[in-house]
Amino acid sequence: MSLAELIGRDPDATTLKRWLEKIPYAVYLGMEAELHDNSILFRLPPDDKLIGNASLPAIHGGVVGAFMELAGAIHLVAHMEKPVLPKVINFSLDYLRASRLQDTWARCEVIRQGRQIANVTVTAWQESATNPNATARAHFLIAEPEIAKEKTHVPLET
Amino acid sequence: MNSLTFEEKLRFIKKMGDFIPHTSGLGVELHSIEGSELTLRLPYQQQLVGDAETGVLHSGALTVLLDQTLGLSAVCSNDIAPSVTPTLDLRIDHFGIAPPGSDIFATGKVLRATRKILFVDGYAWCESPDKPIARATGTWVRVMDIDLDWIKSIGRDSA
Repeated sequence: MSLAELIGRDPDATTLKRWLEKIPYAVYLGMEAELHDNSILFRLPPDDKLIGNASLPAIHGGVVGAFMELAGAIHLVAHMEKPVLPKVINFSLDYLRASRLQDTWARCEVIRQGRQIANVTVTAWQESATNPNATARAHFLIAEPEIAKEKTHVPLET
Repeated sequence: MNSLTFEEKLRFIKKMGDFIPHTSGLGVELHSIEGSELTLRLPYQQQLVGDAETGVLHSGALTVLLDQTLGLSAVCSNDIAPSVTPTLDLRIDHFGIAPPGSDIFATGKVLRATRKILFVDGYAWCESPDKPIARATGTWVRVMDIDLDWIKSIGRDSA
């Protein structure tokens, strides 16, 4: 089953796991997703291959960003009425502190979902959710390609 | 002032890879230094793919490459002392997707440096720098200068 087919399913814990297994980059990062009180909590377990600063050691800032971007996209899909694969338009990251080599968590919120665009914020932390390591905001394009196709096939009426 | 020669800049950028296990593991390497512009290359690889159906690399891999390139680009500016510079913020606009199978390049350049902050712009591209697939802009904090004598000694040991 392809990722596009999988996202049509209700996002229970098993489905979230299967989504992540379908994304090679999420598998490479070792990313996990858990359901807590009906909200999705994403986890990036520590792994030596993710180190960006060997002397601290700290996780590569780009990896923290990538983890947050994946979390934002999956969270968005899980909250869509008619799920489609979102395309990231832009991504804006604020780093608040270095991420040590330990579990990193992320929680997301869909601020607005219009017909074509979604605005999603992501917060990542390690020790405590009230002391975030990074925050991010992403815009995703969620226009359904089928609708666009149908429109182009509508014969012009005069 | 940054009194590094072109060769010293090249050796320093290559040496930084040893301190950054994540990107050295992915095979990120120096592509070019042209004036004050730094370009790094990320080889295409299956493990960074976002959608297995299309083989397109995940945009997060671009985030890693752009963060690293823009963060290191100050080394190429002659009027900025090399320093330890954690990222303060980074924004990426995705113009398109990297063609499946294609390596990705990222180019970065410091637009403005103050005593504490570097304002850096950059972009990612595949076939040609004239056709960027993403634009990046961000700020980096200069927390500590790096000893120039140490930088100049890089490569002498192995010679």
